[in-house]
Amino acid sequence: MKRMSVGAHIRSLLLAVYALLTLYPLYWLFVSAFKSNQEFFRHPYALPREPVLANLTRAWELGGMGRAMANSAIVAALALALTLLLASLPAFVLSRYRFRLRGPIMAFLLLGMLIPIHSTLVPLFIMLNRIGMLDSYAALIFPYTAFELSLAIFLIAAYMSSIPKEIEEAALIDGMGYWGVLLRLMLPLSAPALATVAILAFLRYWNEFSFALVFINSKSLKTLPLSLTLFSDGFGTDYGLTMAAMAIAVLPTIVIYLFFQEQIMKGMVAGAVKG
Amino acid sequence: MTRMYKGMIALPVLAAVLAGCGDSGSTSNSSQGAASGSASQGNGEKIKLSVWHNYSGDDLRAKTVRGLIEQFRKEHPEVELDSQPIPTDAYRQRIQTVAAARELPDVFMSYSGSFTDEFQKAGLIQPISELLEGNKEWADGFLPGAMDIFTYDGEVYSVPVAMSATSFLFYNKELFEKNGLSVPKTWDELLADVKAFKEKGITPIALGNQAPWVAQSTMFGVMADRLTGTDWFMNAIHGQGASFTDPIFVKALGYFKQLSDAGAFQEGANSLDNTQAEQTFIQGNAAMIMNGSWSISDWAASATQDQMDKVGVAVFPTLPDGKGKANTITGGPGGGFVLNAEAEGRKRELAMELIYKLSSADAQKAVAESNSMVMYNVDIDSSKVTPLFNEAFNLVKTLSFSPVYDLYMSAAGGEAVNNGLQDLMLGGKPETVAAQIQAAQAGTGN
Amino acid sequence: MTNAGRLKLFMISCLAPGLLVYGLFAIVPIVWSAYYGFFDWSGIGEPKYAGWDNYASVVREPLFWRALKNNIIVVGASILGQLPIALALALLLNRNTWFSRTVRSAVFMPMVMSTVVVALIWKYIYHPQIGVLNYALKLVGLESWTMPWLSDPSVNMYALSVPIIWANVGPYLIIFVSAIQNLPSEVDEAAKLDGAVGGRKLFSVTLPMMWDTIKVTVIMCIAGSLKAFDLVFVMTHGGPAHTTELLATYMYNSTFAVYRYGYGSAISTLIVLVSAALILFSQLLMNRRSSS
Repeated sequence: MKRMSVGAHIRSLLLAVYALLTLYPLYWLFVSAFKSNQEFFRHPYALPREPVLANLTRAWELGGMGRAMANSAIVAALALALTLLLASLPAFVLSRYRFRLRGPIMAFLLLGMLIPIHSTLVPLFIMLNRIGMLDSYAALIFPYTAFELSLAIFLIAAYMSSIPKEIEEAALIDGMGYWGVLLRLMLPLSAPALATVAILAFLRYWNEFSFALVFINSKSLKTLPLSLTLFSDGFGTDYGLTMAAMAIAVLPTIVIYLFFQEQIMKGMVAGAVKG
Repeated sequence: MTRMYKGMIALPVLAAVLAGCGDSGSTSNSSQGAASGSASQGNGEKIKLSVWHNYSGDDLRAKTVRGLIEQFRKEHPEVELDSQPIPTDAYRQRIQTVAAARELPDVFMSYSGSFTDEFQKAGLIQPISELLEGNKEWADGFLPGAMDIFTYDGEVYSVPVAMSATSFLFYNKELFEKNGLSVPKTWDELLADVKAFKEKGITPIALGNQAPWVAQSTMFGVMADRLTGTDWFMNAIHGQGASFTDPIFVKALGYFKQLSDAGAFQEGANSLDNTQAEQTFIQGNAAMIMNGSWSISDWAASATQDQMDKVGVAVFPTLPDGKGKANTITGGPGGGFVLNAEAEGRKRELAMELIYKLSSADAQKAVAESNSMVMYNVDIDSSKVTPLFNEAFNLVKTLSFSPVYDLYMSAAGGEAVNNGLQDLMLGGKPETVAAQIQAAQAGTGN
Repeated sequence: MTNAGRLKLFMISCLAPGLLVYGLFAIVPIVWSAYYGFFDWSGIGEPKYAGWDNYASVVREPLFWRALKNNIIVVGASILGQLPIALALALLLNRNTWFSRTVRSAVFMPMVMSTVVVALIWKYIYHPQIGVLNYALKLVGLESWTMPWLSDPSVNMYALSVPIIWANVGPYLIIFVSAIQNLPSEVDEAAKLDGAVGGRKLFSVTLPMMWDTIKVTVIMCIAGSLKAFDLVFVMTHGGPAHTTELLATYMYNSTFAVYRYGYGSAISTLIVLVSAALILFSQLLMNRRSSS
């Protein structure tokens, strides 16, 4: 093993300190989840003196979190699959071919990134109502996907455009066909970008509140973010329960993040082979 | 239309007139239906009824109201009841979105004031006057003025299921005793106490004004009322011979600024939320706090018995040359349930029954016993509530109400007051703030 | 079928499904919202056509300009804060070692949490009485620097920018890390070197090769900042006295609190226009740089 220089040690130390600072909120969330409301306010920084395990079970039951989590998982997974599919195909075309409509399409895609989400609530509600889509998983899946597509396409296209063209030209000459090149060559090579998009999109779907609040009526279809706001009555908040509910809700996102981070790194291995 | 105080006088007259000219036969019929909950046996087809409300949490009051809704469900097997508890923080957003699309539920909780105004103006809700006419005894149980804010052109659109008494002066008995001070009865005493506490390094008044309605609702409204009197305020909001640029109102703003400049509030009060201020106070780090009845339930859920025992409750002191009454507290009806204008026939009857169920004498008593104030004359079982709540509730019964500013002003006007008070705390001038308030209130042409 | 025809068919079948879903569920509501901007409407009841009135009153309203100014601070903080930090971390942490994986995950963690938690923590940091920041300042003898960070109008917008930067480095970090995966390995090696050689290679090789990705992240920064809402809404509600108002909080307030739906829609449309203009400007700037 190479010996590290003093500079490298200091650098690692600084990075470690920064990492601890960014991890603190997570730590604080989990610690607070075991506090009573009283203790939450009296000792905001301290460890819980008598951990209240009941917070977790009560939040789980009162918030209907089992059902809500299943709904969130279904919506997020389906929307994610749809996003990756609907983003990677246009991304390939936009990154590889120069054609007349390319500029206008890019500008058209940009538009979707710019509007504050709250302004779209009323129009979307009316539209979903007219096409009879309200109060269903689809009422969340399609709008979620639509508003994430722009960024997803841009990110994947930017990544694909830095993959050397020679690889694909060779494959075309070998008779792979456009679909073959895209599906069997470019998509696997773009795994890191797809994984990045997946992390960002999943997080957004998992935590999205406004659409979930307004487009879903049935209790059996409600998603997780609604369960997290239940313990506040406008004047006061039961932080013990709120923190417990949030601690539960955050666990799956950490797992998803770690899973897709591995996919980003696998891309590196593929990149190394290719390079 | 002047809703509150003129309305107060007019109400008995109005009720008499309505009772006189109404078809008493049919109203009493419908009311019997409402009171007894007898159900017509349909042909097996269930009637769909939706009710939206913000009683979503785990607090006593929310559980009580949800319990009443469940009772209604049991009593009416012919109804397919869709009850939607929506978190308070998101309630407006959800209701206003569906209102824009004209897809409101049959019955929903509506905040008194500008929120209900909008639905009434747009014709999206219908009166429930007949419910009151048919149940005189019940209707008479409401405290004076309870219905005025829900009354438009002589028709009642809702009855309150909650009272907001917003400006109690809570004080820490121990801190006052230890420092040899007494609870202020006059403005000068208040300033003297503020100075004394400040010298001891104790925050005189805890204030968490990040959500800017707090200073207005819990403190400024009652201060201004002491000075201007209620009639002036009612005239000013309707632009009838009074304006928020009048010297008397500028003076009221000046008093608030004086209090702030005297260091009555802890540093950074505008960046703390109300819960944080409540905690500062209950933990003994501030001598006083002005807050509404909700604080009592917040403390009941988060403080120790020992801490609760130290809290005393009073009203805001008198102001020199005040034109208003001394013994008032700002407050009035909170939310109530309203009825969708499109409900008709059997659905309408059932919806009325549901509204009755949620605001009947029994319902009001149940809500009151969940440590939550109501606009109804009830005797509560004092063993069921915290002593502080009991003390405060009994105090309220001896006081008269003055209007909460943002309940009666237009939404834009209320917002201008809220932000104007923050501006004063940051060094703004009363004259400028007064002009902004007047412009915002007049601009909406309420 | 001819070769050109096959390519065309392929391109259309790639583009069409995505653009269809996007057009229906994103563009239609956006246009619809812009259309509401032409109505005098409380959001409840009958809309009245008002022509350009809403737009005219928005641009005459000093509050709009204050919100825009605050928003520009956020844009600046994002581009000058988030991107360089994320890029530096990505270059330092792109190896697949236990250490860099852990640090990377840690940096990302603020993103996975509800904004409410992040806001609560930072409110405790800035708390005027029991806050960590003021405590630390006193500890090192800088008592005169202590202040109510979130309520003093001279600093509160900058104070808010810190958590905004801090919480959003994560996404840019993983975007950059994945872009670096795609670089030829000799560049990767070069980036690991310390000193002048590494620095020069960074600017002559690494950055140009990541330029497309960097351009996308600048778009993300601008678009994200101009519709920034959650953290500010939870931490300050845009106050005190509108001093931290952003365009999106102003829009939300107009729409849902004071019943001016049409006016709120006009603000939204202006947000879209301002973002588009800034993005266009930034891309022109970056295109010139990349070609020079």
